[in-house]
Amino acid sequence: MERVFPLWKSLIVFVFCLLSLNHFSLGQQKFTLNGYVKDEANGEALIGATVLVKELGTGTATNVYGFYSITLGPGVYTLEYSYLGFDVESRSVSVESNQRLDIELTAGGTELQEVVITAEAEDENVTSVDMSTNKLDVKTIQKIPAFLGEVDVLRSIQLLPGVSSVGEGSSGFNVRGGSVGQNLVLLDDAPVYNSSHLFGFFSVFNPDAVKDIKLIKGGMPANYGGRLSSILDVRMKEGNSKDLEVSGGVGTVFSRLAVQGPIKKDKASFLVAGRRSYVDILARPFIDDATLYFYDLTTKVNYDLNDKNKLFLSGYFGRDVFRFDEEQGFDWGSITGTLRWNHLFNDRLFSNFAFFVSTYDYGFSFGENDLDKFDWSSRILTYTFKPSFNYFINNNNELLIGGEAILYDFKPAEAQGVSDGVVTDISLDEKYSLETAIYVANTQKLSSRTTLKYGLRLSGFQFMGPGNIYEYRPVEPGRRQELVEESTFQADQWEVVESYYNLEPRFSIRQQVGKGSVKASYTRTSQYIHLVSNTSASTPIDLWTPSSNNIEPQISDQFGIGYFKNFGKGNAIEASVEAYYRDNKNQVEFVKGADLFLNEFLEGDLISGDGRAYGLEFSVKKNSGKLNGWVSYTLGRSELQVEGINRGEWYPTRFDQTHNLKIFGSYNLSARTSFSGNFTYISGAPVTAPTSRFTQQGLVVPFDFYDSRNDFRVPATHRLDLSLTIQMKREKRGKERKNKDELVISLYNVYGRRNPFSIFFSQADGTPMPGAPVETQASRFSIVGAPVPSISYNFKF
Amino acid sequence: MLSCEDPVSVNLKDAPPVLVVDAWINDKAEVQKVFLSQTQPFFEAEIPPAITGATVTLSSSRGEVFSFVEEEVPGEYRWNPNANGNPINEIGVDYQLTINVNDETYQAVSSINRVPEIDSIKFTFEEERSPFQPEGFYGEFVSTDPVGVGDSYWIRTYKNGVYQNSPFDLTIAFDAGFSQGGAVDGVVFIQPLQDSVNPLNEDRDEIVPYAPGDSLFVEILSITNDAFFFLQEVQIQTQRDGGFDEIFAEPLENVPSNILNLDENSTNRAIGYFCMSAVSGRGRRLVE
Repeated sequence: MERVFPLWKSLIVFVFCLLSLNHFSLGQQKFTLNGYVKDEANGEALIGATVLVKELGTGTATNVYGFYSITLGPGVYTLEYSYLGFDVESRSVSVESNQRLDIELTAGGTELQEVVITAEAEDENVTSVDMSTNKLDVKTIQKIPAFLGEVDVLRSIQLLPGVSSVGEGSSGFNVRGGSVGQNLVLLDDAPVYNSSHLFGFFSVFNPDAVKDIKLIKGGMPANYGGRLSSILDVRMKEGNSKDLEVSGGVGTVFSRLAVQGPIKKDKASFLVAGRRSYVDILARPFIDDATLYFYDLTTKVNYDLNDKNKLFLSGYFGRDVFRFDEEQGFDWGSITGTLRWNHLFNDRLFSNFAFFVSTYDYGFSFGENDLDKFDWSSRILTYTFKPSFNYFINNNNELLIGGEAILYDFKPAEAQGVSDGVVTDISLDEKYSLETAIYVANTQKLSSRTTLKYGLRLSGFQFMGPGNIYEYRPVEPGRRQELVEESTFQADQWEVVESYYNLEPRFSIRQQVGKGSVKASYTRTSQYIHLVSNTSASTPIDLWTPSSNNIEPQISDQFGIGYFKNFGKGNAIEASVEAYYRDNKNQVEFVKGADLFLNEFLEGDLISGDGRAYGLEFSVKKNSGKLNGWVSYTLGRSELQVEGINRGEWYPTRFDQTHNLKIFGSYNLSARTSFSGNFTYISGAPVTAPTSRFTQQGLVVPFDFYDSRNDFRVPATHRLDLSLTIQMKREKRGKERKNKDELVISLYNVYGRRNPFSIFFSQADGTPMPGAPVETQASRFSIVGAPVPSISYNFKF
Repeated sequence: MLSCEDPVSVNLKDAPPVLVVDAWINDKAEVQKVFLSQTQPFFEAEIPPAITGATVTLSSSRGEVFSFVEEEVPGEYRWNPNANGNPINEIGVDYQLTINVNDETYQAVSSINRVPEIDSIKFTFEEERSPFQPEGFYGEFVSTDPVGVGDSYWIRTYKNGVYQNSPFDLTIAFDAGFSQGGAVDGVVFIQPLQDSVNPLNEDRDEIVPYAPGDSLFVEILSITNDAFFFLQEVQIQTQRDGGFDEIFAEPLENVPSNILNLDENSTNRAIGYFCMSAVSGRGRRLVE
């Protein structure tokens, strides 16, 4: 423990320096203008709204809490506040002293009319130093044709370049050839350890409660860390601080209801959003007569204490339940809770202190009664404290500093078997660890044409007792490792068994070239906890396990370069091409026949190797006009090399996808009707296929003579989905109706393609006749093998 | 149902054949067999090609030598304990299998470990509990794993005298539990193992309960820990039921083998397994 504190001490010292520095820097010649930018209709803070000083041609953007700060010399300035889809707000400001200026922007006309937006706002992909970053707003997500008519955040981000999944029925998503467990998924800052409902058909993010989604695939800012591949930062709405608002929907698969409103007008608001799926429909793809459903509740309360202090409390609770009968079944779910305090130390130092709790667990029950049963559950529980400081040094430098401390409590298995009344507890020891980080990052505008973003993150990890500590030695590459009996010992509580530290430099540059810009970035990331799964696709029972004396942290170096340019009237078309290369160390793999569950000696079955992923991403996007949408295409490769697997040669990962093409378009047929479609094409996933078979005690076992991994490709996946959204009449007998409602009719998998989830090789059904030859076969399993129509009704009043 | 499963034709790579040893020998007083064959193309639904003319010898750490002789069935090498008078039945003895074929020698080692008695076989009438557990009589066996970590077993079910041998009938135990890491030692076998004697129907989608007049015979074979891990991997590779299970399916992987070619430089290898077992058994007929 004593080694952990120096990290924090240096952070505290640094912050104090900043606080005192502020009084001396810049003299009295300059003043600070700051405040929040919000939506006039509901008081929601606008993230990434642009603030432009017309006279100087420079500006800034609001942070994730909608806060901005800008430094100006004395004088009169015209400030322009803009945000995509909102009218520009111009203010003439006479700057003679530090000023607070909170702004409310008005949505630009009705949603379906062509929105006139300033060039500055639309030019962001060219002018911002951020690369490999995609933002999606809920309005866009709502237009994407959805499975069973229910829009979903995770399914939508899979339409972005560089993002994919192994297929319907797999949890999570893959970014730039990374595994599901290499994505840091944040819901209001709290990490979400499993983001899927119903085996990935839906995600834990209730679209009624989501405000903003940002996916960072490369060039990661130093304030994020802990996972190798990507950051999915989901921000929840704060709740309407002006009026009570009720929205919801009734669909084919679930119903939704969200209530939000002011507790104290413009000061405090709340949001409560819930969903519940119907029992019968969802189990059918899997097992007749079984029940499968989920429910979740997302809540948030926020309170503006005064000009300098804001409090937020948000939470998520959700569960999936899969029952075979009354006693037997399988369920899983997450709980997250976040408490945040935004505090303005002074006009230019914005801070956020967050404390959050996040847990994910799953459980199984088998058996007929209390005398004969088997119960098993597993859980990860974390507590995090995360202070962050946003220091607006001047108009050309914006400093981010902060830290993070995460205390992990892993419960790999709590299991109890009862046979004829005899109880046997076969629970495994809990595992504890602490992850800490401090970071500093600066965004520096060298000129209007060149911007730099550089930072450094120092992360540390302690694997701690109490518990039995084992050590393993390899016997044969790719096979189970042997326990070194004499090295086994019992660690005390808080005893540090193993420590790791990593320096993670982050660097991005933007250089304007003609009308476009070239951006390049380098990111080093480290990951101390590992999502362990030996199934082909990610599932709810994947297990998180910490780095330890046997498992080293994963490290990744990513290089990216891209060209960004906008075309057309008002820069309506955004285009970009990016290339990336990732070099990964200590990628977790499994020995052959690994036993991951209820295994005290799990780490003996985990081995590691190198990974690499590279690719090219093309994106063309049209944001406005009657027809809008995007085309994204990724050419990629993702490979691993592990001693003892695939003869020690490089092999493609299960989520290696050579071609990945996504087209999404939405067309406004009339003021009230819009039509959308999306098309997906993904190269066939790699799987391992046998060459031969052999017989052992009457059982026919597949055999691959060449001992290769993932050298066979299943057929390509492609699919077309369509949807029609009809807004109900806005007037009734000449009067405007208070409520807004719409019907969404959608058709998923229009031409009924049987996209393979897997191709598997097996013995034909039935007990083989002794002495008779046994038949073997290859089968294709498709989770959705037919067109799926649906209709849903959404309302808001 | 939205999901669907259909057979597909797939072109697989050609591969040369490999020697397959199938040598599971026990202490029962009946003819013991070692099968020698070759791998065959994955989709070839024929009896595997036999390897004839080999010399198969089993020797024990006590100095006994048992010669397995190929008789009328090609590739089937037999040894009859009743005819030869010295049965293989000593717990704790190590055995070595030696196979000479085409001028190359393959060897493997195993040992006979202890096996617990089966105390009883029970039938219980159950109402319908789930779509795959219909109403009827369910069998279970009661047996207690001896104290001491590291016993492995293969539990075999015979229904009306027929050995239940589909991939889903393959049941193995490490001590009284499912796996090594589970650490369930010295107690009665855990409930799912006791319940494993209720075979599935042909479509593998529901259990077929026992009816009055049916008989159930259960055998426990002690196996080595290595053989347990081998069978655990055979389970993973052969229990492919499709449908929902595919979501949790593990990738295809070659199972291990304990057969070694003594000539380390030879490119010829053998796959398959050699294991010695002690066997206990008990049967019961369901009467109303």
